[in-house]
Amino acid sequence: MVAKLTRAERQFALILLGLMALCGLVMAAGANDDLFALHGGLILAVAVGLSFLVISGLDAPEPPPERLAEYYDAPSRVAIVLTMGWALFGLAVGDWVAWMLAYPHLTVDAAWASFGRIRPMHTTGVIFGFGGNALIATSFHVVQRTCRTRLAGQFSPWFVLLGYNLFCLLAVSGYPLGITQSKEYAEPEWYVDLWLCVVWVTYLVLYLRTLAQRREPHIYVANWYYLAFIVVVAMLHIVNNIAMPVAWNHSRAYSAFAGVQDAMTQWWYGHNAVAFFLTAGFLGMMYYYLPVRAQRPIFSYRMSIISFWGITFMYMWAGSHHLHYTALPHWVQTLGMTFSLVLLVPSWGSAANALLTLNGAWHRVRDDATLRFMMVAAIFYGLTTFEGSFMAIRAVNSLSHYTDWTIGHVHAGALGWVAFISFGALYSLTPALWGRQRMHSAWAVEAHFWLALAGTLIYVFSMWNSGVIQGLMWRTYDSGGTLAYSFIDTVVAMHPYYIARAVGGALFLAGAGIGAWNVWMTIRSPDTVSQPAGGDRPLTILAGE
Amino acid sequence: MSGGAERDPISGYMTTGHEWNGIKELNTPVPRAVWFFLITTVLFAVVWWVLMPAWPLGNTYTKGLLGIDQRQVVQHDLRRAAERMPPWRGAVLRLDYASIQADPALMGQVRRHGAVLFGDNCAACHGLGGRGGPGFPALASGSWLWGGAPEVLAETIRVGINSDHPETRVSQMPAFGRDQMLSRPEILAVLGHVRSLSGGNPGSELGRDLFAANCAACHGEDAHGAVELGAPNLTDPTWIYGGDEETIFKTIFFGRQGHMPRWDQRLSELDRKVLALYVADLAAGGTDGTH
Amino acid sequence: MFGLHYRLEKHGMALLLGIIFVTSIGGLVDIAPLFTIDETVEDAPDMRLYTPLEVAGRNIYIREGCYACHSQMIRTLRDEVERYGPYSLAVESKYDHPMQWGSKRTGPDLARIGGKYSDEWQVAHLIDPRAVVPQSIMPSYRFLSTTGLRTDDLGLHLKALSRVGVPYTDEMVTNATADAIAQAGADGSDGLTTRYGEATQARLFDGDPGKVTEMDALIAYLQILGRLTNAAHANSPPPGE
Ligand code: HEC
Ligand code: HEC
Ligand code: HEC
Ligand code: HEM
Ligand code: HEM
Ligand SMILES: [Ca+2]
Ligand SMILES: [Ca+2]
Ligand SMILES: [Cu+2]
Repeated sequence: MVAKLTRAERQFALILLGLMALCGLVMAAGANDDLFALHGGLILAVAVGLSFLVISGLDAPEPPPERLAEYYDAPSRVAIVLTMGWALFGLAVGDWVAWMLAYPHLTVDAAWASFGRIRPMHTTGVIFGFGGNALIATSFHVVQRTCRTRLAGQFSPWFVLLGYNLFCLLAVSGYPLGITQSKEYAEPEWYVDLWLCVVWVTYLVLYLRTLAQRREPHIYVANWYYLAFIVVVAMLHIVNNIAMPVAWNHSRAYSAFAGVQDAMTQWWYGHNAVAFFLTAGFLGMMYYYLPVRAQRPIFSYRMSIISFWGITFMYMWAGSHHLHYTALPHWVQTLGMTFSLVLLVPSWGSAANALLTLNGAWHRVRDDATLRFMMVAAIFYGLTTFEGSFMAIRAVNSLSHYTDWTIGHVHAGALGWVAFISFGALYSLTPALWGRQRMHSAWAVEAHFWLALAGTLIYVFSMWNSGVIQGLMWRTYDSGGTLAYSFIDTVVAMHPYYIARAVGGALFLAGAGIGAWNVWMTIRSPDTVSQPAGGDRPLTILAGE
Repeated sequence: MSGGAERDPISGYMTTGHEWNGIKELNTPVPRAVWFFLITTVLFAVVWWVLMPAWPLGNTYTKGLLGIDQRQVVQHDLRRAAERMPPWRGAVLRLDYASIQADPALMGQVRRHGAVLFGDNCAACHGLGGRGGPGFPALASGSWLWGGAPEVLAETIRVGINSDHPETRVSQMPAFGRDQMLSRPEILAVLGHVRSLSGGNPGSELGRDLFAANCAACHGEDAHGAVELGAPNLTDPTWIYGGDEETIFKTIFFGRQGHMPRWDQRLSELDRKVLALYVADLAAGGTDGTH
Repeated sequence: MFGLHYRLEKHGMALLLGIIFVTSIGGLVDIAPLFTIDETVEDAPDMRLYTPLEVAGRNIYIREGCYACHSQMIRTLRDEVERYGPYSLAVESKYDHPMQWGSKRTGPDLARIGGKYSDEWQVAHLIDPRAVVPQSIMPSYRFLSTTGLRTDDLGLHLKALSRVGVPYTDEMVTNATADAIAQAGADGSDGLTTRYGEATQARLFDGDPGKVTEMDALIAYLQILGRLTNAAHANSPPPGE
């Protein structure tokens, strides 16, 4: 990867890494608390490691200028490998956490291994590690293909990708050490948040500049979604993470808002992290890989427009459905509930647009497990958004809130939608980027599909059951007019479902393991057939247009 | 490339004429159903906004025609629940303990509701079904510190033991070792005697004398305990802290002062009454505490 | 409409501005008025501040991620009020930077846990939950009772909190470390109660006079939960009283 950079870019990289090492050193040496020092050391170590990589390639020959007339896919290739790595990590930790709830005495009896510290490792690992890398890999790929241009930067894609992974690493390594704000989905501390700001703004600029130099007159829908994902996540992240550090050299910070205002800001963030990270970004993914794989035109351009603006507008109002019946004023809850209901229409619009695109390609869905991944994803997307709008109704939420029903909803979305669409996209992308005709093993893709589907269904059904049972037990009054169960009864009642969930998770994880093996083998074993898949319009031919 | 709109043979719709790396789009009109549901849901939202508190206006907000607010709703629910109190609860509140205990139907309700109340508030310390825990007395054992009559239990529950209630029950087992009232060999001797009381090997003469001199004041000459002082009976097989040598040694050396929270601020008089009856019933073996 | 869009989607910056505009509205309408509408946060003249020890305990609560299993928000529902006590008010968390309302109840709500159990129970439970509640699935926090509490930087913590709006005085900031040690010692100190109020609970929370541990701090925090103000009880006095 270093050889693809010019000498000047390599030197620039070294300077940046030097700065980063210095930063790490100052953090480690000047820290007011041990945890800050540990993270400084980690930053230093990463900088030194990357410097070795750059130095080893420093004297490689200058890359030919013609490379600028080709698509720039090396960052996507690395991102794919990172995606699979984070998937295995995040899912394994998820399943560990699931077993922990079923058999708490089996866990490691150490400070770093308690549930409250490991659980955010799972959520961050899957959402930001797995999901984020999949989004970076595909957004880089898609924006180039649909704009018929090369990424508008040679160095910045690497900065975005590696900088982002440094963010994930700092986040995930922080929790077991005890570095967290306990703000759900925004757990990283202030200095890690600041770093993500830098990375994310670079991402936005890179994306905009690439769009600006496109050779297509129109911007394709997938890019609307990727763009919305990037810019709105920046807004959300910055506002929700405003905080006052205890000292510049201290790992703790106190968030700017408190109490009810903090709660609303937090769930404005949390809900729209779902909307723009876990939904908009992956819709962008779907809008590219699904029609390409199905070889069908998008069902309706007009419906894309309605759905896109409906989703961007309405999601932002809906965060308060996470705070029904709380100390948040009733009026905000009303807005959250009503907008969540209207939101169902554009959401289903997107799901329907995807499924109707498959009309005329159902035989491919049957034969091609990769396309089937994407089809199932669209179905789960429809299911999850329906469920979400339903749960946003105050009366329903009074039952579902605080229970495993929410967890079931989350994983219908996270496994059924996010992970399925990602795996579908990766199975399309991997052979294309490495110039292979197809994935190493079609059988393995098939096996992955069925394991993932079984795992998801078991997970989601067991959590629906436990959630509804727990919610009902909490509020059941017996014939004598008093509460019928004490809290601990409901904990006991969850046990069988927690086992089932952990088994489902293990199946899902096994599928992902097969997937990672398959990706790896595809990368490693070159095709004997000369004709690579992908079928991209080459930039070179069109460059002179 | 625009202008190249073509008809899709499968759906019969026209494409928009654009193409991105092979992807085309159909210019299919938005299905009627989408408009229909969009309008319906928006209409519903508008109606809801008119009826409910909804829109912020500077430093206030629209209250809604129905005048509903979640806090009033729950207060109303609670009030209504209190008004429509099921008859058995009214009876428990009204009747004296003996009459309730004599009424099997009432006791059935007490057992049901008591188990839930006990599970949410007391079982953390006293164990489900009152089987006790480390440092927390087994209420089902029938071995009382302050007495097992329901009236007495109700008072214990109301004010707690060594709690911050002004009328709290106060009790303390002195730290004979730490405060140098007894020497180590003396403690061992009295320990031997204490163990003999509940059926262990006979203790020494010295132990018996020391007990009479130091302990009998609270635990009684016969070591059967004293409910006026909250001192436990040392002759039965139930222990709060444990009957092994090490634990008894600790008890005598460091003393003990168990802390039972007050419940007057947390539970209503009725609920405390139910609990007192429930606990008395546990000890009497009326229920095993499960439901 | 579709014609307009046909033109919009040719301009990257216009699309960007369109997205920013459209997505800004909802958030602004939901959040901004919470700062301007006075009744959003109730008045509670008796509202107390977290003492330095309680702040430290709260930080441990945050560090351990207890929010993953415990809510601190009793909803306006009859069964919750009957099980946990008066529904939570906004004012009760007005000094919580950030709030810990939570979104999952794997364990019970903790908004009113303060005073519900004794310190001894809290210690025993945190050391080994299943020793006191055999059915529990809560992890053990044994290490808290052996880990000394860091108190020397508490002044900085109070300072940072005062910068985000918690009314700590300079005197409180200066005495933060001493106040924390005093509160976890058996004796307490006059300074502590004059600064933080007569109701401040000073005692050996972990029962061990040896050193101030993280266990002391966490239990001091748990024992104050729901007791910073009595405002919530004003709406619904204990049922039946
Ligand atoms: C924080 C732990 C804790 C909780 C919770 C608790 N108790 Fe207790 N309770 C104790 C301890 C400790 C004692 C014994 C005090 C002593 O050792 O002097 C005790 C003693 C008692 C006694 C006195 C027994 C006797 O022999 O006189 C009764 C009755 C009782 N508890 C009932 C209850 C009820 C009913 C509840 C629930 C509403 C409850 N307790 C909740 C810790 C607790
Ligand atoms: C001032 C009164 C008092 C005196 C004197 C006293 N005790 Fe106690 N003792 C108590 C009280 C009260 C308790 C219950 C403490 C508690 O549960 O927190 C108790 C508890 C005990 C227990 C624990 C019982 C159990 O179930 O775990 C033992 C053993 C005991 N005493 C032995 C002795 C011996 C031996 C002596 C004399 C050397 C003695 N006590 C003197 C008041 C006294
Ligand atoms: C894996 C989930 C989990 C985590 C993490 C967890 N708890 Fe718990 N907690 C529970 C469960 C389940 C119960 C109910 C059973 C029991 O009492 O142990 C409980 C009960 C409690 C109770 C008693 C509540 C009552 O009203 O009976 C307290 C206090 C408590 N936890 C505090 C904490 C603190 C403080 C932390 C973090 C340091 C924590 N918990 C972390 C699951 C958890
Ligand atoms: C129309 C679309 C959707 C609506 C209206 C919606 C609504 C909701 C509601 C009401 C909750 C429960 C809040 C609570 O009671 O605490 C929730 C939780 C959640 N949803 Fe959705 N949802 C939608 C789509 C999705 C999708 C597609 C995902 C993708 C993964 C998703 C992920 C989540 C997550 C992660 C949570 C848990 C938040 C927490 O930690 O409490 N949602 N959603
Ligand atoms: C092997 C598969 C998985 C397993 C076994 C698993 C397990 C778990 C468990 C046990 C929890 C904690 C639930 C609780 O606190 O009760 C959890 C939470 C969560 N997981 Fe997963 N998970 C898996 C995959 C995923 C994936 C792929 C994603 C996202 C892309 C994801 C996103 C989340 C989120 C957002 C939460 C927090 C939910 C909430 O707070 O409401 N999980 N998961
Ligand atoms: Ca953060
Ligand atoms: Ca959650
Ligand atoms: Cu949401």
